[in-house]
Amino acid sequence: MDAVERANTERQKRWVKDQKVGEGTYAVVYRGREFATGRKVAIKKIKVGQFKDGLDMSAIREVKYLRELHHQNVIELLDVFSSKTNLNLVLEFLDSDLEKIIKDRTLVFLPADIKAWMAMTFRGLEFCHRNFVLHRDLKPNNLLIASDGQLKIADFGLARDFTDPGHKMTCQVITRWYRPPELLFGSRYYSTAVDIWSVGCIFAELMLRTPYLPGETDMDQLKTIFRALGTPTEEDWPGHTKLPDYVPVGQFPRTPLRDLFTAATTDTLNLLSKCLIYEPRKRIGAKEALHHAYFFALPYPSHPSKLPKLSNNTSSRPLDEVDGNVDMNASGPGVKASAPNRLKRKLSSPGDELGGRPLARRLDFTQKRS
Amino acid sequence: MANRTNVGGWLQGKTVRKGGITSTNAHSTRSNTPQVQSTSTTVFGGGVKDSSGRTSEYFSMDDQCPVCKSDRYLNPKLRLLVSSCYHKMCESCIDRLFTLGPAPCPICQKVLRKLAFTPQTFEDLTVEKEVAVRRRIAKEFNKRRDDFQDLRAYNDYLEEVEDLTFNLINDIDVPQTEARIAAHRAENAALIERNVQRDEQYAHALKEQEEIERQEREQRASEARREEEMEREEREKGRREIIDRLETSSKNAAKVIAKSRAEANKRSSARTAADTVLKSNAQLLRSRAAQSTVVPDVPHVPLQDDWYAYEDIYTLMSSYEDPYSEAVRKDREGIMRAGGYRVEEAWERALRSAVMGLDLLPLVGQGISDVDKDPSSQPDVVMAAA
Repeated sequence: MDAVERANTERQKRWVKDQKVGEGTYAVVYRGREFATGRKVAIKKIKVGQFKDGLDMSAIREVKYLRELHHQNVIELLDVFSSKTNLNLVLEFLDSDLEKIIKDRTLVFLPADIKAWMAMTFRGLEFCHRNFVLHRDLKPNNLLIASDGQLKIADFGLARDFTDPGHKMTCQVITRWYRPPELLFGSRYYSTAVDIWSVGCIFAELMLRTPYLPGETDMDQLKTIFRALGTPTEEDWPGHTKLPDYVPVGQFPRTPLRDLFTAATTDTLNLLSKCLIYEPRKRIGAKEALHHAYFFALPYPSHPSKLPKLSNNTSSRPLDEVDGNVDMNASGPGVKASAPNRLKRKLSSPGDELGGRPLARRLDFTQKRS
Repeated sequence: MANRTNVGGWLQGKTVRKGGITSTNAHSTRSNTPQVQSTSTTVFGGGVKDSSGRTSEYFSMDDQCPVCKSDRYLNPKLRLLVSSCYHKMCESCIDRLFTLGPAPCPICQKVLRKLAFTPQTFEDLTVEKEVAVRRRIAKEFNKRRDDFQDLRAYNDYLEEVEDLTFNLINDIDVPQTEARIAAHRAENAALIERNVQRDEQYAHALKEQEEIERQEREQRASEARREEEMEREEREKGRREIIDRLETSSKNAAKVIAKSRAEANKRSSARTAADTVLKSNAQLLRSRAAQSTVVPDVPHVPLQDDWYAYEDIYTLMSSYEDPYSEAVRKDREGIMRAGGYRVEEAWERALRSAVMGLDLLPLVGQGISDVDKDPSSQPDVVMAAA
């Protein structure tokens, strides 16, 4: 026991707590740094004592799974130590999350950005699933963004590993707006498909910039889902009427996704609809999703360093100035930055008098010619 | 003389509106050199137009008509035009020679028509000719890369086009070249027509886009004006309010003024905050797109590790003799299936766990001894301590 205590204090010395940045139901989060290197970390202090039987379940879950999972797109647990009566988790410091980015109206998402975020989410999730871990609380709020743009799945407080056959799981998981219909109907036996539904909702939210299925109560959530995607028939989802908490909530017709996502490509909607299939067994898997045509189609996913970031006041200023300049010389190059190729074409071929062709054409030995 | 020494004499050319010469006076305030004036009643079209659809006409102080030897000193309104055989002539010569119908060129004897004369844009007439030839060739040889099977064929085609152009410009084998052009036209009539239409559509789309952007700019400008107006009104109102209050209230005058000033400040800061949020979408998109040219995007790679390279370590069967999962597989109520539970996942997990460490070497060295010395590296132990 003595050795353990000594080791613990040694560990504790490695980290320095700075200021408090947030407080959750079962933990307080501090900003901190590594004593030796000065690397920024987040220290999550778990409150102990207010629970009768020891540690809070979610803290145990978080440690249990994060200790095992090491992946580019999963938050890293650097260390665990205790202080007085508290348990401290040392986590990677990540300064923003996808929810903040979605809410920041000054940011514009290109289709390539959404593709990059989705690819990173699926990659992280695939890693969890291949290690037999269900996350069970995916939402934009839990997808953190590192300073280099990498997206990391965080908050494994509700995670659990796959069950043995016939073992019940709780259905009271996943934030309501991202909860799949089988959990709303009280299914106690489920699988990776629950996480995929959440990712589908996040995907839609990235495009809409507002939650896709915001139900006010669990009942209303079902109604919201069915209103958006149509009430499932026995054919769509065999056996769903036998689920423990099944209640008919009314008949709604299916409206094509295209009506809401008017600007999305066919590939995009195809992937989205596969994430939001009612029958869980038919829902696309994370690995399968990563091989979906959507990710291979142009545009390529944005490089993480170019993804929209929360702007500090200092960084938004120069951008404004650039805008001003662009507006001043409206006929100059760079005005139509949204369609650079067309602009280039136009400058080299001055209009219809020349039949839209440049005067002299050079021999062309490159394979790529637009 | 000075003009000759400059590069590209047409830079000094005067601008004549496409529609007619009468409108040239409209821009006369801009320049100090005399405007191109026409003595002829004929409106000569053609010439090389710039991107705004205007023709820049070449013009120099030592112009002289090669036919009648009249120059700018004798005739300040002298205007030289170019024939289809690329010889210059003044307007009065053209009127004199060609008004009665086609007549031979006084220099090269080629039969010319009056309307085939065009204004001169470039100082060097060979450039003028090259531009005209290229324009003509481009109209008919308008195939694109995607009309060819491979790059080689396309390059051959470009080479051939360049040959024809060169021949025409330098008057080499003209009849033969013309025959080749005619043959090409006959062969590819449909394709040429299609490409012309495609180009037109493209130009049209471009114009439409420009129009949309122009409207957007205007809208932004009018919004800004309206806002300014509002702000002014508000300031005015504030001032009136202060005066009213000073009239009616019995409080200290300085206090009243300070209070309403603070209120006005609060209002205006609220407005500017709202403004920054309401930045136009197009503008944001533009700055976003401008940002995104630094690091190149790379194609999607589904998985970035070799996890699934070891899939062949085991084969998952369609079913197993498994008493534990029997109830689940029977699934009398059908609720397992509806909830999405898969017994295969459990089997896969069991199999994978079983084979996972098979070809790993046993841990040696640092890792092991560390664990021995330092049992708290196991988080469970730490929790127990806590």
